[in-house]
Amino acid sequence: MTLVGRIAYRTSMFVLAIAAIIGAWELYKLIGPQGGGKFFGVSILPRANNNAMPHVWDMFSRFGRPEVRGSDRKIWVVVLSGAWFSLRLSFVGFLLGSTVGVGLAVLMTRFRIVQRGLLPYLVMSQTVPLIALAPLVVSWGGKLEIGSFVWPRWLSASILGMFLAFFPIAVGTLRGLASAPSAAMELMESYAASWKQTLFKLRFPAAVPFMVPAFKLAASGAVVGVVVAEISTGLKGGIGRLIIEYAREATGDPAKVFTAVFGAAALGLTMSGIVAVSDLLLMRNRPKETTT
Amino acid sequence: MSAVQVVGTSKIFNEGSAKQVDAIVEVNLTVESGEFVSLIGPSGCGKSTLLRLIANLLEPTQGVVSVNGKTAAQARLDQDYGMAFQQAGLFDWRTVGKNIELPLELKGWDKTKRAKRAEEMLHLVKLPEFAEMYPWQLSGGMQQRIAIARALAAHPPLLLMDEPFGALDEMTREYMQGELLRICAETSTTVVFVTHSIPEAVYLSNRVVVMSPRPGRIVEIIDVNLGAKRTEDTRAAEGFFRSITAVREALRGTHADHVAATAIRGVEDR
Repeated sequence: MTLVGRIAYRTSMFVLAIAAIIGAWELYKLIGPQGGGKFFGVSILPRANNNAMPHVWDMFSRFGRPEVRGSDRKIWVVVLSGAWFSLRLSFVGFLLGSTVGVGLAVLMTRFRIVQRGLLPYLVMSQTVPLIALAPLVVSWGGKLEIGSFVWPRWLSASILGMFLAFFPIAVGTLRGLASAPSAAMELMESYAASWKQTLFKLRFPAAVPFMVPAFKLAASGAVVGVVVAEISTGLKGGIGRLIIEYAREATGDPAKVFTAVFGAAALGLTMSGIVAVSDLLLMRNRPKETTT
Repeated sequence: MSAVQVVGTSKIFNEGSAKQVDAIVEVNLTVESGEFVSLIGPSGCGKSTLLRLIANLLEPTQGVVSVNGKTAAQARLDQDYGMAFQQAGLFDWRTVGKNIELPLELKGWDKTKRAKRAEEMLHLVKLPEFAEMYPWQLSGGMQQRIAIARALAAHPPLLLMDEPFGALDEMTREYMQGELLRICAETSTTVVFVTHSIPEAVYLSNRVVVMSPRPGRIVEIIDVNLGAKRTEDTRAAEGFFRSITAVREALRGTHADHVAATAIRGVEDR
């Protein structure tokens, strides 16, 4: 398939998937129990009433109305600017995570002992709940000073994005760097290539098919990290803050919180979109069987 | 000056442990400049090990290996040899031209000089119009020709080949053998060639080195007198068959104490 054809195919599948989700939502509203349902005494089925599950059109029309009554700021403007704020933080987190992840992978490839010593801790780091970590990192805001650099509060959110982003990148890159065939390694050795030459001319190019899916995971990880940091610390300006604010109004204005949720989803899609485009560019000259 | 000199060389893996393998023991071999020498023997006779010792990809446990009058290590640093393997081993992410340029890049050649040499090499292997293609768009035989072009790009005086045509079909294989002889004659390259195939060894070589397994030893070195110029007619010549028989008997001899049926396992009789 050509590049344009592949993009068209992916886009149409995406639209189809959205339509299927909307259909399922409305179908459940139609047949689901209004007051929720219980299985063996445990309430498990969500309420299908308009307070818990607003109609899809209500949610979307909410975007066009003001954020608070009497205000002239439409809610889509607020959500969009919140998403833009969080996107920038996520992107910083993603970049930091990529640097740390790739750096660690190179270090672990170079020194077997580092790999053996470090890898278990990296795995363990991902078992720490983000919510437990968030207040700690955010408390650095305004307090931490490194020379003339004062730690801004938003950077803490990016750091938490980094925390989720670096791990898949470190692991994926590590596997990728090790994936160079031994015959190719032998060839580089026969040319008396230095370790650095082998790294950049063989190991990294060979790692690309492993790195691309890792970066995709990392992109959405960075968004989750930032949004969770915003929610758990109430950092102003981002989509996470909007989600908690709007959730408080859920009884009176149930559609409102969903606008912020959509904003967060759009944010995640934008991030993985950026990675998907770079994937297409990086893999365009590879054998097509190995592309995912 | 000899192209390759292997003196009293042994290679023992896992020395002293239960898994000790005497890959080759007390091997002496001299390859003169311009010669084509094949190493043949059953699987596990250490012919690839010997090739890797010459390439300095392995260090000998004992003995001395010199290439072009230098130590093998120095020869590797100076890129005095090119190498080709059974798998062409081209880099998927580089165009054919850039693949050929790889050794030159590592040597620090500038861009225009590299491109010029790559073009020359593509002409040498008769694939001049393929520079911008990617390796995976080429057939196996073409890929192997590109691998040879890459191995010879820096004009090394010595070419080391480890079953380079082992993965090719018979027709392509015979064609490639002819091409290899032409290329080596044009570039006056010395070749050490590892193979499983008796006819291939005989067709290509001035001398065939027959090796025995466990421990790997040279049992016999057979001179092939088929003249300098070999053509498709050579394959039907009487001398060709005589040499094949000589090599086969030498190989049988390596297994005097084995059951005949298992005698030449790993050696293709085609």
